[in-house]
Amino acid sequence: MTGDWVVRGFVATLHALARGGCAVLSVLLLAAHVALMVPGFGLGLVFLLPWPFVVMRRATNAVRRLSGGVPLPYLPRPPAPAPEPDGRYQYNRRLYRSPFWPRQQRYLEWTLGDQATWRDIGWMVANPVVGGLLGFAPAALVLGGLAAVMTAAVGFLPWWALVPGLAAATAGLATAPALVRAHDAWARRILGPPQTRIGSLKAWLGIRLLALLRMLALAGLAVVSALLAVASLAALTASCLGFVVALPPVVRWTRAVATVRRRLADRWSGVRVDQPYRPEPALPPLRPDGLYEVGGHLYRSRTWTRYHQQLSWLRRDPATWRDMSWTAADPIVGGALVLGSVGALAYGFLGLVIAGLLHIVHAPEPPGLRVFADRPWLAVVTGVALAVAGVLAAPAALRAHGRWTAVLLAPTAEARLNLRVQQLTESRADATQAQAAELRRIERDLHDGAQARLVALGLALGTIEQLVEQDPAGARRMLVEARQTSAKALTELRDLVRGIHPPVLAERGLVDAVRALALDAPLPTTVTADLPGRPPEPVEAAVYFAVNEALANAGKHAGAARVAVTIDYDGSALRVTVGDDGCGGADPTLGSGLRGVRHRLAAFDGTVRVSSPTGGPTLVVLEVPCALSSPRTSIS
Amino acid sequence: MRVVLAEDLYLLREGLKQLLTAHGFEVVAAVETGPELLRALLDLRPDVAVVDVRLPPTQTDEGLQAALAARKQIPGLPVLVLSQHVERLYARELLADGTGGIGYLLKDRVFNADQFVDAIRRVAAGGTAMDPDVIAKLLAQDERRAESTVARLTVREREVLELMAEGRSNAAIGQRLFLSESAVGKHTASIFGKLGLAPSDDDNRRVLAVLAFLDRGP
Repeated sequence: MTGDWVVRGFVATLHALARGGCAVLSVLLLAAHVALMVPGFGLGLVFLLPWPFVVMRRATNAVRRLSGGVPLPYLPRPPAPAPEPDGRYQYNRRLYRSPFWPRQQRYLEWTLGDQATWRDIGWMVANPVVGGLLGFAPAALVLGGLAAVMTAAVGFLPWWALVPGLAAATAGLATAPALVRAHDAWARRILGPPQTRIGSLKAWLGIRLLALLRMLALAGLAVVSALLAVASLAALTASCLGFVVALPPVVRWTRAVATVRRRLADRWSGVRVDQPYRPEPALPPLRPDGLYEVGGHLYRSRTWTRYHQQLSWLRRDPATWRDMSWTAADPIVGGALVLGSVGALAYGFLGLVIAGLLHIVHAPEPPGLRVFADRPWLAVVTGVALAVAGVLAAPAALRAHGRWTAVLLAPTAEARLNLRVQQLTESRADATQAQAAELRRIERDLHDGAQARLVALGLALGTIEQLVEQDPAGARRMLVEARQTSAKALTELRDLVRGIHPPVLAERGLVDAVRALALDAPLPTTVTADLPGRPPEPVEAAVYFAVNEALANAGKHAGAARVAVTIDYDGSALRVTVGDDGCGGADPTLGSGLRGVRHRLAAFDGTVRVSSPTGGPTLVVLEVPCALSSPRTSIS
Repeated sequence: MRVVLAEDLYLLREGLKQLLTAHGFEVVAAVETGPELLRALLDLRPDVAVVDVRLPPTQTDEGLQAALAARKQIPGLPVLVLSQHVERLYARELLADGTGGIGYLLKDRVFNADQFVDAIRRVAAGGTAMDPDVIAKLLAQDERRAESTVARLTVREREVLELMAEGRSNAAIGQRLFLSESAVGKHTASIFGKLGLAPSDDDNRRVLAVLAFLDRGP
């Protein structure tokens, strides 16, 4: 029995030693990373960059196997770059002769975009200590203990060293299995897929702590605002003195910072704040005398024209001045909000609780306790209450902060109207252009197709009329040909009609038309629809062609096995989702088809969103605000 | 043979009437709208109806809906649907009750009067007549989808199924593919087996085979 226990202890100690090897491995990895990353990032030798990740994944995979089979947390690997028809490889709108560079880039994108990579790095940094302690402790105890026993037995150490030596060796053997388990749990925790389940109390606290951290970050940004306010004041004074050059850069910095704050208001506080800026003006038309006019002044060079144009563009935009007043006001209002949450926590905890406790225990030099100086217990209680209030108030403070950001940084009603006009002008121009192009295509198709065939048909009929008396057999042959010509004309017209307005759409409406599309799609496609009525016809047509395009794209993407289309209506907008289970990585800016769809839907204020993370799934979401007509009474 | 005709374009309606009369059919009613068609089908109970999908007053699929509604009341009422375009969606709906007597053709097919009349007679006899375009679309798609039932058929069997789906008899299929009728019979038996259709009335099975063909996929 005891023999068994000792053997198991020894085996576990060996296992632990192997895990200690992992700690050594992580030290080596760390060194390799430093060696490759510094030239990779610092010297721009980008081709070095993928190697650390390759080595890291190899190493961590070995550790995973060793630690009792930790499941792999990585996103699926992107497909190898496929050559274009001309044999070159495309990556990010550039063509490369060899697949090396696209492959490197994709690999980097894949690894850097994976949370698991960063967890691997965390493991690499922490494991030399954690893994080292857990792995080497049993062996060190056993060896150290045995060494003590040996030396005591030989007589170098007094006889009683036997006792701690034996105790250490026993402890090593006894704890080895537990330490191995602890090491594996640690490896699973950090190298395995992240655990998503969080207890409700933890989540509750987490939300508040996160809000506090964000408030702290906003406090830091308020300092940036204050600096910008000072810079703005200086630039304004300078420009009043005639030194105008100082203004544009300051305005641009302010815009950059304000843009970041708008995004944070949306992401952190859930308050959507749109960009209020007027669009940058285009170069004015050249006058007959070869000069450009900006605000009553004439300029010869383009650079100067552009410079003055930008100056007046920045100066005339009310958003510029609102941004500036915001930089001055944000440190005050935002600062007050930060004080209400983070400040309350900090002062309550440090200034009242700690100081009060120090007073109570009569520490030699207690920090000053301005309030409740004579009643430190009360200070402690108040401090706790204040700190708790600060923690509780954090989410509300964060929301209030977002609303405050919107007060000055959101577009004014006028700016909103301006932007809307701008947007409508653009979408109208796009729609008109698209329509003209479409008409031109139809004209060309009719001219070269059906029209030409009808001419041929007329000619043939004329000839037949002549031949019917003299050469009945020849006339019969020509009749067959004429019939074929008319059939071809019909086929062409049918295809043309399908492209203009598909007949199923006219006959059945959007849902059945999409069902018909799904039936003809190259991939198995399911359609789920919940539409209480019919959208207006132009919307139906635009959405139909959009779905057609999305289905065609899904068919072209490598790796998709099935496609799902859902159509529903949320009371104000029609939403169609086309999702496939392919490998993702589709670039939403690429593809003229999708761009055309975007333009077509923009005419109805519709939007197209493409989400296609590497590893999939790809999701195309079309949204068009519209009203539905009452449902059609269907016989079936 | 008594025919009800539904077509809203005057020229085409008169043309079809002439063509049918010339081939010995009796056109008992030639109507223009969906409601008229439904009434004519239920009152006159023709041997076969020739129906355009798109009819007034809505200019949607009135004709198709009227034909389906009439077939609900008179199961197996032979209907030949004509259209400017063919959709697998419609073909599926027409064949869904599995009773046969269904034709679905492009309007172009009237160019070849003999084949067209042949199709009407097949439909009137309870068979099917699917447009080659529907079948061609299906087969084109079939080559791209690997794991379908139909993919397990041999090339020859697919050819037979294709012609069967168009509604041809074993004799006609044999003639087209230069096979003996008994050889075609063997192929059809094998197709029925692979599609999992239990032995029953042969005509019915032919319809079911076509339906399986149209219905596979998602």
